[in-house]
Amino acid sequence: MDIRTPSQTIGPFFHVGLKWDEGEKVQFASPGKRIVLTGCVYDGAGKAIADALVETWQADPSGAVPGAGAAVRAYGYGRAATARDGRYTIDTLMPGACAGVGGGKYAPQINVTIFARGLLKAVRTRVFLAAPEGINEDPLARAAGPRAATLIATRDAEDPKTWHWDVRLQGKDETAFIEF
Amino acid sequence: MSARDAIAIDPPYDFPGYKSTALRSPRQPLIRVAPHPLETAGPSFGSGFVKESEADLTTWGKSAPLGEKMILVGRVIDEDGRPVQNSLLELWQCNASGRYAHPVDRHDAPLDPNFLGQGKVLTGDDGGFRFVTIKPGAYPWKNHPFAWRPAHIHLSLFGNAYSQRMITQMFFPGDPLLPLDPIFNSVPEAAARQRMVCALELERGIEEVALGYRFEIVLRGAKSTPLGV
Repeated sequence: MDIRTPSQTIGPFFHVGLKWDEGEKVQFASPGKRIVLTGCVYDGAGKAIADALVETWQADPSGAVPGAGAAVRAYGYGRAATARDGRYTIDTLMPGACAGVGGGKYAPQINVTIFARGLLKAVRTRVFLAAPEGINEDPLARAAGPRAATLIATRDAEDPKTWHWDVRLQGKDETAFIEF
Repeated sequence: MSARDAIAIDPPYDFPGYKSTALRSPRQPLIRVAPHPLETAGPSFGSGFVKESEADLTTWGKSAPLGEKMILVGRVIDEDGRPVQNSLLELWQCNASGRYAHPVDRHDAPLDPNFLGQGKVLTGDDGGFRFVTIKPGAYPWKNHPFAWRPAHIHLSLFGNAYSQRMITQMFFPGDPLLPLDPIFNSVPEAAARQRMVCALELERGIEEVALGYRFEIVLRGAKSTPLGV
């Protein structure tokens, strides 16, 4: 068996190679309910991280894995570099309910990967688009215990299509990340 | 650590030699959970996403960029030796003087109007890829006194499953800056560090035009899971 190639940091200059036009607008083969996932990425001192890359990958509105299609860009995948204030915004569709292999019940969620200068390997997790009482059966919520609270996006009271979710790489309320 | 790893492959999050990890490294334990159905599948890019010209970083400007022209060939495979086919590979790098075409880069070295430093390809049926570029320069950074990054090319890979998604850096053989670079040396095992060093293969180049280098990239198995899950 071959030794894997190790991970290295994305560094501060990744926009040169990884910035896409409208990368934050997720494409799908079929229509659905539009949502916006937005928030800021913070370091252990509570400072906004202005050079992170936030990637999302999710089920389509029917709950299926987005396959290859007529579009040139991959369906179901989004990419946003954080702005000076640490903010990312992903413009997408509400993912449908996804069934687990062993009959597990997944809450509505989006898979998230974050790369940044100072991260020698990506942090990865999933964000829940549901009320806190709606995630009790989810395998990740169960595994994370009380820390699952860091993975729940909050629906905007005035703009119901918008969900807010901040990421804290370290410190108080550090986001629960998944081992890969 | 993946159940497949006999040695520690990836760097730790907290690596004091690389200052920026101090406030950006998670300190809580990572959650162990079975893969989500989306993680064993992955984004699928159509052939129209990548233009053939994007594999050649030397034809972007009005004339050829400065520097040592080089051909980079390689293959993306997984731990079981299976080729990672039709998978997006993106690349970025600084120019021959060690300067990125990026507003945040303040290194006092010249920009090259004929070099942007970005490329992408979809891997072939055998996982193979080929880029034409120039050898990037070394450049100073503020991590510690007299800190210089060894010449490197950044590579972003999707694999065929989202669990394989990975970003790495490729270094050059015999570079005297390698033993001094905290980012390269954040990888604990020497054998794993050597995975990030390409090999000089002159015959992969173009006679009297370009040097040839080979870089094999090995991703985790598509169904690999963390230890104990």
